[in-house]
Amino acid sequence: MILCTDPDTDELSAARDALEAGGFRTHGVDSAGAAREALEEVGPVDCLVTEYDLPDGSGLELVRETRAASPDTACVLYTDAGIGEMDTEAFGEVIAEYVRKDDPGSADRLVEIVEHSLAFRSQTAYPLPDDEDARLATLSRYATDPAALSASLDRLTELAAAQFDVDSAAVGLVDSHEERFLSCHGADVDSLDREDTICTYAILEEGVTVVEDATADPRFSDNETLAAAEIRFYAGAPLTAPDGRAIGTFCLQDGESREFDGRDRELLSLFAGQTMEQLELRRRLRETGGDDG
Amino acid sequence: MGDAYAFDRLPLDDIRPGTTVLVTGPRHEGARELGLRLLAGPAGEGAIVVTTNRRAERVAADCERLGIQVSDDRTAILDCVGQEDDDVLAQVLPVSGPADLTGIGMRFSDVYVDFDGDGIERVRTGLFSLSTLLSFGDLRTVSRFVHTLVGRIDSVGGLGAFLLDPASHDEQAIRTLSQFCGGRIEVRDGDGGSELRARGLPGQPDGWRPFDRSPR
Repeated sequence: MILCTDPDTDELSAARDALEAGGFRTHGVDSAGAAREALEEVGPVDCLVTEYDLPDGSGLELVRETRAASPDTACVLYTDAGIGEMDTEAFGEVIAEYVRKDDPGSADRLVEIVEHSLAFRSQTAYPLPDDEDARLATLSRYATDPAALSASLDRLTELAAAQFDVDSAAVGLVDSHEERFLSCHGADVDSLDREDTICTYAILEEGVTVVEDATADPRFSDNETLAAAEIRFYAGAPLTAPDGRAIGTFCLQDGESREFDGRDRELLSLFAGQTMEQLELRRRLRETGGDDG
Repeated sequence: MGDAYAFDRLPLDDIRPGTTVLVTGPRHEGARELGLRLLAGPAGEGAIVVTTNRRAERVAADCERLGIQVSDDRTAILDCVGQEDDDVLAQVLPVSGPADLTGIGMRFSDVYVDFDGDGIERVRTGLFSLSTLLSFGDLRTVSRFVHTLVGRIDSVGGLGAFLLDPASHDEQAIRTLSQFCGGRIEVRDGDGGSELRARGLPGQPDGWRPFDRSPR
């Protein structure tokens, strides 16, 4: 779904028509307030396309608010305003695509930019694995019935928390925009925005990722979610499917900074391997029809 | 997508359109010169240089010295430094400062559309430097900016060269930023002068290779 915001009825229709002709579903509103209401009603959208001058605020303000609620939303300023007419300085960290309506071929460019931004997810604030699409396809084969495994995964996370003497241990699957936890011992979390979780970085690595002190790591030092959860130490081993793609992690967290030696890494990898085996057995059971659960 | 981007008198094979490379190396050992030399293409190509810490006048002079044919219809300098430079041959476009990543991105889009309207389809973009952006903004914000700009360069079949001084940043920051780019070219001071090594780019020669800082 693409949310289009433009106070000019004709221009709003033209933008929506172009996007719908490009195969996208759109929803149109005429102000920042109406955009906020729409976002509350329908939840996160894939993409926000907005005019800069809105009757009740600026399009860049709307981009900032939209990203605060759903960080991965692709945002495009589709506007009559030239750069000199916009206060970009006050919104320097916002970052949005920019298409000027009066440029030749602007509607086509808008559609191209939306297509590219969504296909390659090029506005995220974190790196993606090279094979992200294939990785998500692999993930979908394991994520259909997560509750069925929770009892056995709960035993593993409890064992791991005790083994490593950490505050919490979890099994999380890293989906396109969020990480969903199948089991979490020692903390109560269902899901996190992908931008906020260290596992986002752990699935890029072949081995175990260790962050001894998140407050001293530039990737996480300003991460309010980790700070609120009092997480300083992290270790995560990827859950690697038989096709080689990492679908999530087996991870540990603690409120104190600490070291994690080679033996610890080996043991954590064993937990991840055991978890992946459970997921794989469950998948086979489901796909061969032997699952009556 | 067009032909690959070629490099005059550099020990590098052509690079596929749509690629952005991270150019890393110490400040005084040729990384900046190499980054600018990557932007020097044949007549008909455009160049966009984002400068975060040097005046446009000086950047234009460096470009000329390093083989870029500077002209106001096919060379644009996005100037985050903010000194008035009247007699620069390139098109100088102001950005409020290196913390205004939104402004840099929009200027880039605008210039690109202008170039395209003038029939310039092949554009090389240099960012000098990411280190300044990181000193004004946090890694998350700079990451989004780099990811978006790399995506734009990819979508239009351009070439990008982003400079980073590795000594100024944590390994995690360098690694994260390099993960957005198609490859990395490292520069160091070798026995006989400056040397470069390409990593992650298909078809490039292995190991360190000497290069001249200036094309002469």
